[in-house]
Amino acid sequence: MIIEIFYLSLLFIPLCWMVILALCFFAQLDLPERFLTESVKWISVAMSLISLTLSALVILNGSKALYFDYPAWLIVGNYTFKLRYVVDLLGSTYALLTSLLVGIIYRFSSNYLHKEEGYFRFIFLLTTLTFGLMTVSFSRSLDLLFAGWELVGTTSILLIGYFYNQVQPIRHSLKALVSYRLCDMGILAAAAWSHHYMHSTDFTIIPELIEHAHAGALSLLFIGFFIIWASLAKSGQLPFCSWLPAAMEGPTPSSAIFYGALSIHLGPFLLLRFYDYFSHFPILLWVVGFVGGASAIYASAVGRTRSDAKTLLAYATISQVGIIWVEIALGFTQFALFHIVAHASLRTWQFLRSSSLIQDFFENPTVLQDKKIHRNLSFEKLASRMVRRKIFIHALHGFHLDYFTNKILDLFLAPFKFYIEIEKKWMSWNNKFVKLIIKK
Amino acid sequence: MSPNMASTHFDTILKNIRIKLPIQNPLHSFVHNNVLMMFEGKEFHEALAEAGHLYRARSYWQLEKYKAKFDEKKISFEDIKEAIDQYSLHYNNSVLSEKLGIKLKDYYQGLMFSELMFNEDEIQPDIPDGSLWEKSAKKMAGQELRFNENVRKFRAKEYWEKYYNESVSSTTQPFIIRLISSYLDQGQSFWANPFTEKGFWNFFSQDVELTSKFGTKWQKILGQKLAAYKDQTPQAIIEAELTKMKIPIQNWEDYILDILFDLKGWAGMVNKLETEPWQATVKAPSIKLVDYIASLILIESSLDQYHAKVHSTDLAIIYGREDFTTIRSFQLTLAIYQITKYFHLKPEWMDRFSSEELVQIVAEVDASEKEHLIRLWHEAYENHFYREALSALVSHDPPKIETDPVQAQVLFCIDDREESIRRHLEEVNPDIKTFGVVGFFGIDMKFSSLKHKRLIAQCPPVVIPSRIVTEVPKSGQDTKRFMWLHQFIGGSDLSLYYLSRTLFRGFFSTLILGIISIVPMFLQVFFPKQSKKLRMSFNSFISPTPATDIMIEQGLDGHGYSKPEMAKIVQAILSMCGMKDDFCNLLIMMGHGSSSNNNPFKQAYGCGACGGNAGIPNSRAFAKMANDPEVRRELVKLGTVIPDASYFVSGFHDTCTDEINFFDTELIPKNYLTAFNKIKVSLDQACELNAFERCQRFSSKDAKISPKQALKHVRERAEDLAQPRPEYGHSTNALSIVGRRNLTKGLFMNRRSFLLSYDWEIDPQGEILKQVVLGGVPVCVNINMDYYFSSVDNDNFGCGSKLPLNLTALLGVMTGSQSDLRIGLARQMVEIHEPIRNLVVIEAPLERVSVVFNSHPRLKNILYNHWMKLAVYDPQAQGWYFFREDQFQPLVVEKTHIKHFTTSLDRINKEVTEDDFAEIG
Repeated sequence: MIIEIFYLSLLFIPLCWMVILALCFFAQLDLPERFLTESVKWISVAMSLISLTLSALVILNGSKALYFDYPAWLIVGNYTFKLRYVVDLLGSTYALLTSLLVGIIYRFSSNYLHKEEGYFRFIFLLTTLTFGLMTVSFSRSLDLLFAGWELVGTTSILLIGYFYNQVQPIRHSLKALVSYRLCDMGILAAAAWSHHYMHSTDFTIIPELIEHAHAGALSLLFIGFFIIWASLAKSGQLPFCSWLPAAMEGPTPSSAIFYGALSIHLGPFLLLRFYDYFSHFPILLWVVGFVGGASAIYASAVGRTRSDAKTLLAYATISQVGIIWVEIALGFTQFALFHIVAHASLRTWQFLRSSSLIQDFFENPTVLQDKKIHRNLSFEKLASRMVRRKIFIHALHGFHLDYFTNKILDLFLAPFKFYIEIEKKWMSWNNKFVKLIIKK
Repeated sequence: MSPNMASTHFDTILKNIRIKLPIQNPLHSFVHNNVLMMFEGKEFHEALAEAGHLYRARSYWQLEKYKAKFDEKKISFEDIKEAIDQYSLHYNNSVLSEKLGIKLKDYYQGLMFSELMFNEDEIQPDIPDGSLWEKSAKKMAGQELRFNENVRKFRAKEYWEKYYNESVSSTTQPFIIRLISSYLDQGQSFWANPFTEKGFWNFFSQDVELTSKFGTKWQKILGQKLAAYKDQTPQAIIEAELTKMKIPIQNWEDYILDILFDLKGWAGMVNKLETEPWQATVKAPSIKLVDYIASLILIESSLDQYHAKVHSTDLAIIYGREDFTTIRSFQLTLAIYQITKYFHLKPEWMDRFSSEELVQIVAEVDASEKEHLIRLWHEAYENHFYREALSALVSHDPPKIETDPVQAQVLFCIDDREESIRRHLEEVNPDIKTFGVVGFFGIDMKFSSLKHKRLIAQCPPVVIPSRIVTEVPKSGQDTKRFMWLHQFIGGSDLSLYYLSRTLFRGFFSTLILGIISIVPMFLQVFFPKQSKKLRMSFNSFISPTPATDIMIEQGLDGHGYSKPEMAKIVQAILSMCGMKDDFCNLLIMMGHGSSSNNNPFKQAYGCGACGGNAGIPNSRAFAKMANDPEVRRELVKLGTVIPDASYFVSGFHDTCTDEINFFDTELIPKNYLTAFNKIKVSLDQACELNAFERCQRFSSKDAKISPKQALKHVRERAEDLAQPRPEYGHSTNALSIVGRRNLTKGLFMNRRSFLLSYDWEIDPQGEILKQVVLGGVPVCVNINMDYYFSSVDNDNFGCGSKLPLNLTALLGVMTGSQSDLRIGLARQMVEIHEPIRNLVVIEAPLERVSVVFNSHPRLKNILYNHWMKLAVYDPQAQGWYFFREDQFQPLVVEKTHIKHFTTSLDRINKEVTEDDFAEIG
């Protein structure tokens, strides 16, 4: 009971705050910066305390998953949309991580974005992100999860384009948008598929279904592929690697919270959510492991050639998330969760401190002038000098990932191009025909 | 042309290009420079026009800002009149004003309040005067005007952008930025670029060779081009490409500059690392500007070729095209209408001219507006400040010379940020005298500290350090543990940086560090000040800093100074302060610096005279020199007698935290301690008041807090990880005053003035004046100009917002994931700055001043070309002069009544006035 109150308040606090901010915006009320700063301070303290207690309660409760169902919200024909929630160790841990890090980022930005025109917008988007993440953490049906998932994606895109009067942020946020959209189709497809086969999107019932109905097992397998597909873009795994380094256009704290910490780990979170189901289909775990491993190796190879603070961190993040995917594939789910928490904290810290690097290096007594910094190269040494140089160049260009994805895209676009050509021809014939008529 | 001649010609082109590139230091050695230092040979406004074109930047504020100042009464009609008076002497547009039939001054005034608008949309504007409109329309019927006729454009970039909506820069820039930033990287990436020894061209060509087949179509063309040029030198390739484009040789420089200025910051950095490789953070790779230019030109021409093919255009038409805009009769009608209205002309004036002549007049007015409008506003704006400043100085009553025994003489830096603390100190304790000298105290040294062996130049960038001074442990101190520990911590810091970003080792370090990192993150974000205390006490617990001394004496290695040299240094500084024999018992050398956290521009806040570093070593070295009995004996020979009772103490003022620390205090004679402690108390009080004054500028803090809280607040700012404005640095600087403190003592100047001590009475030869002016004024002008440009157009002359900055290659910052290497200062650093050229006020006989300025080439340049303004108070003749029209003209400033307050605190608390100047006491 008390757990219910706690997790609901974690959902309601950001929701209410979001609504209040939105109302203020529409009422054209200019909230003073100080008011925003003070209120987010208390909100983050409250949320951190609540989520801490919630996690403790869940653990005391024996880490059992608790299910909550609420009356139908929407009924269309045979379809009823029910708010279904689950509170378990995974969800409450992610909620805890969210409240702690968002609290830190709130506090950080109150000074960092002081006097900034977009401060209100930033706070609003951060709050929306919090609500989205809380929804994802506790939701038990794909429909509901998708809502939170979309909120996170949208805020992410809007914050990449925070400086909307410049070209590059907009261009790069478009890049992220396309990747997100492609992969979001995965969740939609999974939801549609499960509606069709299970007449419900509650994913906790899938394992039971598999055990009881052997016949439908194969069709259930597809849900797994869709889920993996959906997780790719959010966590920047292959082949959706290149949007992430390009996404470092917003203010530093937003890069930290999204791409160092919370949004990037939603991929593995989704996989963990579905782990019970995945474990029935080894092939899915193989795919997860393979994609994760490949991305980890790819990102670490490319990342080690990067020379700017944020892109470097982006690739480092992809490679660690890749390792987390592998951990999940191997079945170390608890460990993966621990890894997520540790990794999110470390990257947030590194992002926030990324401006200190010049001072750090300059004041480091081991860094001297006219003496190259000694870096322990490892795997590169396996190759000969010439080959190593070639690999370096290819790694510098991200192993031409964009080139290959464009090739694949071209395959999809080919029919459209064909149609365009036909239309052009048709138009020119048409013109000639019209001219002929006019002449006559 | 023979190849030999071509190459010498190319060398001159390259030389000219180098001069025009932005001066770009790696951030760790940031120094304030006049961004356009190389343009100082030209008149200020002309240089600005040229540079504005090159940098694609605004060289003044936007018009709206000046007009807002006009509405705020920060620019008065009087200022405008004065500006026009001065202006019409230089820029005479009388032909045009005669044509219009008005006086030149009325013409300028009309110009300032007009803005010619050509109606692009051809919508009928709101016309109150119908008959005039019809008359204009009749006159302009069938006329047209062409702009930019006969101007040939060689660069195809704008053509593609304008007519085909192609974004050229976003296609090619990511490619070249990736290459150059990887090539110049000083150690940020784990895998160091393996090509750095053989030059950038080698890297570029290998890269293109290997990757062009995976690239987009223009990259494939680039690959083919490069293959065709195999084994040719970069210079030959540039020449071949430019010749192929049929660009006349006299336009090469402009063409190359235009390409380089697409990424001006990177170009500047390439140039810097080629010409001054020792400036690199760690080690400069072998880099040549010509390699970089060659690769840029090849990329550009490949892209042109590609676009020409796609859009089936002939490149020959595009290179060297004329690109004019046509203004048609409707727009001309509007222009004539506006001219008549703005200049208050009678409609009949048109009858005197034929339609063609009227079109010509429109063209002339438009050109004159572009040239003069904003400059006039700017000059009026500056005039307002100059008038205020000068009348405050004239009206200021110097306090009666006190007869009390002086408790201490405190030597501060000339920095504008020290103006306020000097004022507060004098108010708190009137028995303390303060002086302003260049903060490196004349010691041109490289310094290496105990902890870090790197040699750091502790002098202004114009001075080449001649000696090396080292920090050594005091005898009997065991530093082995300290040194080892710092090496160990440094080493593990470095490896953790790399390891946490790799794959497997990253995995382990993430698991271990990840959970731990929450603690410092939480502390640093929520409790910045306490976390610093914690860190400090932890540090001193594991490795207490050993007591140290500094080695200034010349040893066998010839690094330090000999005793006569020391005496010379001490003598120079003391004579600048006007001290010959009036020494009191305690003299405090107050170096300064600034602490801040997570701030890539930390160096920009430091002591400009110490090359952006903290002035501690200099003040320690100076105190040590001046306390040396042998040096004092040498000083007697030079004519300065320091009594044995006088003792020099080295101090340090942190301009961000407003903390004052002293060094080598254990050496102070016992009987001085009570006096010393008294001064310390006064200084602490002054610090509080200073912090309070500074807090008024931070809008995050209530102005009503107490001085104590203000001190707490500024200390927190310095440690805050998230603070983009630890302090406002030199913002609002606009004045430099050279003279005795009496000229300014008790005058509230709102931290706007550099203060340089100089006593004309002890300097009949003008030698000391020369030292003071040469050592101080160029530094002030550099700082002033750096702030000027970063604030007039922060996106193009400056660095843009601090929020999305991304540190690159340990050299500089980019905006977002990939951009040009930014130049100048960030928006948050200059947002309250008011761009005004530095007004230097000197209290000295006119003759001496004129000799000093005429004898030094750079000073002469910046004075005669108006990069600074100069006013002189001649104490012998009791007259004021202002440098105008290349000569000193007597200045008439009436005494005005400036507001009077009992203390600075009073002035701050009351906030009844926005004036910068006020009388205190």
